[in-house]
Amino acid sequence: MAKSLYYKIDKCLGCKSCEIACAIAHGEGGNIFLTIREGVLPRKKVYYCEGKNYPLSCLHCKEHPCVNACIAGALTYDAEKKLVLHDEKKCVGCWICVMVCPYGAIRPDFKKKIPLRCDKCKDKDKPQCVIACPTKAIIWEEETVI
Amino acid sequence: MSRKQFVIIGNSAAGISCVETIRKNDKNSKIIVISDEGYPAYCRCLISNYLAKEIKEKEIFYREESFYKDNQIELILNKKAVSLDTRKNVVILEDKNKFSYDYLLIATGSSPKFPSIEGMRRKGVFGFRSLKDVEEIEKLLPFANTACILGGGLIGIKSASSLLKRGIRVKLIVKSKQILSQILDFDSARIVQSFLENKGMEIFLGSDVVEIMGKDNVEGIRLDSGEKIPCSLVIVAKGVKPNTAWVKESPLKINTGILANEYLQTNIPNVFTAGDVCEVKDLISSQYTINALWPVAVEEGEVAGFNMCGERKIYPGSLGMNSVEFFGLPVISIGIFSPQEKAGYEELIHQDLARNIYKKFVLKENRLVGTILIGDIRAGGLFLRLIKEKKEVISIKDKLFNENFNYADIKGLIEEREKIYV
Ligand SMILES: Cc1cc2nc3c(=O)[nH]c(=O)nc-3n(C[C@H](O)[C@H](O)[C@H](O)COP(=O)(O)OP(=O)(O)OC[C@H]3O[C@@H](n4cnc5c(N)ncnc54)[C@H](O)[C@@H]3O)c2cc1C
Repeated sequence: MAKSLYYKIDKCLGCKSCEIACAIAHGEGGNIFLTIREGVLPRKKVYYCEGKNYPLSCLHCKEHPCVNACIAGALTYDAEKKLVLHDEKKCVGCWICVMVCPYGAIRPDFKKKIPLRCDKCKDKDKPQCVIACPTKAIIWEEETVI
Repeated sequence: MSRKQFVIIGNSAAGISCVETIRKNDKNSKIIVISDEGYPAYCRCLISNYLAKEIKEKEIFYREESFYKDNQIELILNKKAVSLDTRKNVVILEDKNKFSYDYLLIATGSSPKFPSIEGMRRKGVFGFRSLKDVEEIEKLLPFANTACILGGGLIGIKSASSLLKRGIRVKLIVKSKQILSQILDFDSARIVQSFLENKGMEIFLGSDVVEIMGKDNVEGIRLDSGEKIPCSLVIVAKGVKPNTAWVKESPLKINTGILANEYLQTNIPNVFTAGDVCEVKDLISSQYTINALWPVAVEEGEVAGFNMCGERKIYPGSLGMNSVEFFGLPVISIGIFSPQEKAGYEELIHQDLARNIYKKFVLKENRLVGTILIGDIRAGGLFLRLIKEKKEVISIKDKLFNENFNYADIKGLIEEREKIYV
């Protein structure tokens, strides 16, 4: 079974360490300074609402309406890995995926003209936000365990 | 399971999504896909990006080359279906070949409307619908200096933008008093218009074309004002009509499109329809409507596919929604964005013209029924969800314009579908 990201809201301090780790993980530089210079944006964002912090990134949800809506055939769903895959080369930056995301989790990167989407750090052994979180508010687990 | 024969007419958004759904549910039955175009499935919406040379030809095909083989689909290209016999369950092609079916999907899409004015048949007049159109337009480009685009809708502006990017002078002739009247209100259309004009598009509002002039080839157009504009290329983008002509003689019920129930089934039980050719109830108005959109065609094709395999699945209704980008300016429009009768509706608007930002929310009985977002589109999906789920939004009304409007703001209002927070 594939793992997904869940969050313990009461533990989240809103420190944004996860955002920073996410940006670094998706840049070339490997550290915060180079990542900022490259202009790499995090694919995850910590939102604030009524006194609490809510980290959010693509859920790779079971319904994944973005995959159906993509006019460029840039999105596919891998059911086994519970992963929406984004082929950035095919993407034309029309933002239809932003319009149909039921969680508002896909944000546009206007500079690069592609949407910011969590890829679960699929080439690493676990998502870097999980490691970066100082309070262990981010859980990397199979759905059945949750 | 007995081996059935599925026939799909139309090899595009609706057809492909139906075929994929059938194959997931049924590995054995025979599937035949028929199209009068000569290509494997391609992203129709990207023909403008292709014309602009933003993508290469091979990037427009959205399934692997081996897709049809891998899914054991018999693909028949360059063949037009010309009639349907629902008593014998056969489709007849123009070469007289007959295909019998147990279940049929009609996904023949739509075609550009060409108004009946003088000169429509001159060389250099095109619709903007297919790869073939782009290939023909491309042949003319080396000799073209000015193009006139008839119609100020999405297709008109997309094709005009592409030609502009190719260095062609572009004049957009729009009959109504605003551009994009199908997706924007007057004020937001003004914002997009001046943005496009700054990019070099010349826009003529409130003008109609009365003649396309020339001998064999197009030499210009004449407007209802009497003004003549010389040009060597004309693109007609005055809306589309569903491709129903070939089933006109059949007992299928047709209004503008082929009518379908919530299972995407026509009045003939083993004949289904999906996409631009199909007319179903609109999610918001509950009226029979054609929302001729790619995501709608894919959704409908999927629901039709399930039902053709005998898995009952209900389509909640189609919804008008568009997300487009013009030279870097993002525009989203969903649902009722400019109610004709103002009574009963509430319209909330925020504008920041210096930043090209316009946001509008339309509410009815405290429920969100539509939105326009220009410049800042980040929370678009959340608004779509509120519109689809028809939830009361009084408690978050004063937050809708917040730049950081987010999922946590609507979490309490909607049904949780996927666990995120524990
Ligand atoms: C330039 C452009 C830009 C667009 N941009 C957007 C966008 O940004 N967002 C959006 O949502 N939508 C957009 N659309 C609309 C979108 O492309 C359509 O809604 C979608 O393609 C509909 O899919 P469909 O499968 O119903 O029909 P179609 O894509 O029209 O396919 C129907 C197929 O059936 C074939 N056919 C027709 N009659 C017959 C017959 N008798 N026998 C055999 N074959 C037949 C046709 O040749 C065609 O190949 C755009 C369209 C265009 C042209």
